Amino acid sequence: MEAHLQLALANLPTISFGTGSLVRLPGPTIHQPNVYHFNSTTYSAIHSELATQNTPLYTQNGLLNMLGRNLTIKSYPERFQDWVPGKPRLEHAGDQGAKGTESGVVDVVITCEERCFDAVLDDLHNKGGKLNRPVHVFNVDIKDNHEEALVGGKAILDLALSLNEAAGRARDEAGDGGRAWDQGNREGFDEKVPDILAEWQERWPNMPALWSLAWF
Amino acid sequence: MNLSQLESARALALGEGKYYNTILPGVLPIITSAVTNSDLEIQRWGADFLAEAFAAPTWSSHDKESVSLSVLPILKDLLEVKDTGVIKSSIQASASIYPLVYRHIIFHPNDTQHWQIMLAVKSNILRRMDSAPPGVRICCVKFVQQIILAQTPGMVADPRRPEQNDISLALVPRDHALIPYANLEAEASGLLDRLLDIIHGDHSDALLVTATLNSLGMLIQRRPVVANKVLASVLNFNPLKLANSPMTPRNKVVMRSMERTTRALLINVIKRNPEGAFNGRIQQYLERMHRMRLDVFDEANRKRPAPAEPTDGLDPAKRQRVGANASITPASIPRLPPGPVSYRQLYTIDADSNTANFDVQAFKDPEQLLKIVLLVLRSIDETKLGNAINIVRSRYLDLSKDSIRTALPVQPTYPVSVDDEEEYEPDFEPDFEPEDAEQLTNRLDGAPPENIVRDRVPEASLAPYRLPEAPPLTREEAYNYGDMTVRRLLGLISATEEVASKAKGTKNGFNRLAANTYDRDAWVTILSRLATRARGGLLDANQLIKSEYHDAKKGRQSLSDTIREAIYTYIMYDWRKRIDVAVNWLTEEWYNDRIQADATRLDARESVNGTTVDELNPNSHYKRCVLRVLDGIVPFVEGSDKGLLRLMSEIPELDKEILQRMKKMAEDPERIDLSIMVLQYIYMFKPPARKICIQVLEEMWYTNDRAKPKAKKLLVKWKPEVLETRDDVKMEHTSSNGNMEAQSV
Repeated sequence: MEAHLQLALANLPTISFGTGSLVRLPGPTIHQPNVYHFNSTTYSAIHSELATQNTPLYTQNGLLNMLGRNLTIKSYPERFQDWVPGKPRLEHAGDQGAKGTESGVVDVVITCEERCFDAVLDDLHNKGGKLNRPVHVFNVDIKDNHEEALVGGKAILDLALSLNEAAGRARDEAGDGGRAWDQGNREGFDEKVPDILAEWQERWPNMPALWSLAWF
Repeated sequence: MNLSQLESARALALGEGKYYNTILPGVLPIITSAVTNSDLEIQRWGADFLAEAFAAPTWSSHDKESVSLSVLPILKDLLEVKDTGVIKSSIQASASIYPLVYRHIIFHPNDTQHWQIMLAVKSNILRRMDSAPPGVRICCVKFVQQIILAQTPGMVADPRRPEQNDISLALVPRDHALIPYANLEAEASGLLDRLLDIIHGDHSDALLVTATLNSLGMLIQRRPVVANKVLASVLNFNPLKLANSPMTPRNKVVMRSMERTTRALLINVIKRNPEGAFNGRIQQYLERMHRMRLDVFDEANRKRPAPAEPTDGLDPAKRQRVGANASITPASIPRLPPGPVSYRQLYTIDADSNTANFDVQAFKDPEQLLKIVLLVLRSIDETKLGNAINIVRSRYLDLSKDSIRTALPVQPTYPVSVDDEEEYEPDFEPDFEPEDAEQLTNRLDGAPPENIVRDRVPEASLAPYRLPEAPPLTREEAYNYGDMTVRRLLGLISATEEVASKAKGTKNGFNRLAANTYDRDAWVTILSRLATRARGGLLDANQLIKSEYHDAKKGRQSLSDTIREAIYTYIMYDWRKRIDVAVNWLTEEWYNDRIQADATRLDARESVNGTTVDELNPNSHYKRCVLRVLDGIVPFVEGSDKGLLRLMSEIPELDKEILQRMKKMAEDPERIDLSIMVLQYIYMFKPPARKICIQVLEEMWYTNDRAKPKAKKLLVKWKPEVLETRDDVKMEHTSSNGNMEAQSV
């Protein structure tokens, strides 16, 4: 969600998802997590429930703060596996970064853990690539805590901006009335992705990256 | 029309999928004019819009099919535009449209016109497959995947409803004019080979390789005919082939990504088909890849890493001694509070930790708990566990010593050193010194062992254990279990038979207690009382008989009759030795009948005006059982068997019908003596039965010529008048019989 916020603040169209079966948040002990359903429980409902449960505890561990941030980003957590790519997202217009995601597709998926990367690739196999639309799936390994999330959010934003810039450049270069094309410069954005990622990895060596060209 | 107007048309379609039906025909001329005017922005928008429209899940496939034909010419034109973005989107749109047009042609074999345009589009795209920039080639890969899907046979879910089925070669009739089956099949096979060649080609182009791998999953999933070929090819793919080239950052990330993509594909295949024939090979492949990946990527880390042993307590100035025993810090072990302690306190080493206060009952799902416990068990450090066990052991020993001291306060001979209890011994080993063990056992022997436990029982907060409630028995089951119990009881009797000593004490008659000893007699008593009295008082005599009749009609017996049957069988199995059992049982039967009869008589007196039962109820269990036993035994009785004599003399009541069995027995010349002897014995020792004895003997005398001489001897004494009146009449028979008898004797 930190990454969602940073990407949206940079005016990049953004959707965010979880890949687990349930939304799991820390509870009073490590053995008693607070568990919610995806796609139905709103962030404000979770926030108010936890606030009534134990305000000092959840303030102290930053959970209420995080939920307070999240409910300004989007109304409720969504699950990747339940997402139907290509289904218009007009009802999400209030979410931050919603502009540009109305058609319900994205060009890039970025996960923050290897198991999420695996889950996304697996789910895309299950979805069957019905849209015939390519999507670059990245993984940026980030430890799940507030500090790392902040740093990881910056790293993801860096990656996204690098990709966006390359895509924009490729589009502009091709838009010169076909001169570049005739000169044999027909390179597009996609083939540059491995190089962009490799450069990014040099800048962020502590977040081992993965990537795959998958299909919606 | 400018872009913003087009965007608002698109927004309309996004809001409601069916608007594509009207919006697309309106937009197509605009795109066409953009192609002629080389308006790149509109061309790009148009290509994207076509790709988006034909991919839209909100627009029905049926509607798409009808619109798709009109889109074909514009697609053909867009593919000629010199812009990578336009071409990519056009290929994407073509990939979505190809199956739709293909299905249209299957059902319209004469529509040559549209099929020709489709073929032109197709060949345009296939031409690009090898030469175009990678970004375009990946779209060609997806287009080829769609062709293969359409042109290989799929599974037909329902042949009667072709519109429901997956678009595949299975829908194409063999004699299709426009698209010959064999050609389609061959083309698909060739294209598949081209796809598979990509993953075995130049691996530096990870874009193309991962794009291909990610499109193969669908083929494996939906086209079983090619699944084996595809899997075999993937299993020969080596994503780490680049390891031999320079380890640039790009190569590293590309290799890792290809390896990971292959793994995701194969794991998806296993997940979708857990019993697949290829799964063994896939597992092997994944393991091999895992090892290879470690080899390739962890090279930098393989400079003999420091052992991950705990370094606490080791001298940091010295070289790490891996085998050294890190001493345990005794300060960290909390002492048990004085006085009685609970088991929980005994086993809790760190009372402040979260784990100690954690209630496992919080887990409603035992499965989940199990998973966690397994993980925890696996992660336990062995030395830590050993230490913990030693701590608990020493605490326990201390406690045992304490309890001994309290139990035997006057024994000063064992000076328990203060150090022993105050200080935890860091080097405590499970095998403590032998003297200690001996002393300890000695002391333990001296102490009443219950004390140790009893001291702590009040603190032990064990929940009361309840057996789960058994499901209620059906009538049938209850009967079966009853039978089983009776059979087991008889088994017990048979088992105790040998052991039972013949020396019997005083007999207590009906006042004896059934279960005062555990010998055969006690069990026989229990059993026969069960048979006779179990239902006693619940029903009156008549009802009893009726209800048993009903039970018999239903095809099963009452408990009493089951037991009776069992006892009878038991007696008959070795009746000579078990006469006492028979007597015992029959006596109980008689007694019970009596009690029942008395009760009925009482009731009858109270209700009706005195219909008294003065004789043995003809339906009584006693009589029925006696006759049954007699009828069972008599055929096997030999002339010299004194057992029968005993039985007849010891059963509590006789009537004519019972004694007539003796008359019957006397029809066998060999057993005349025995039956006469029985009658004589009963006459002598059972005076109440004398009358019946005489009657039976008299009848015998009349009917059985061979028994006449013996009967006569007795009748002379008992009832001479019989002989006088009938003597003349029967003389002839006697003489003729007399010869025979002389022979037989």
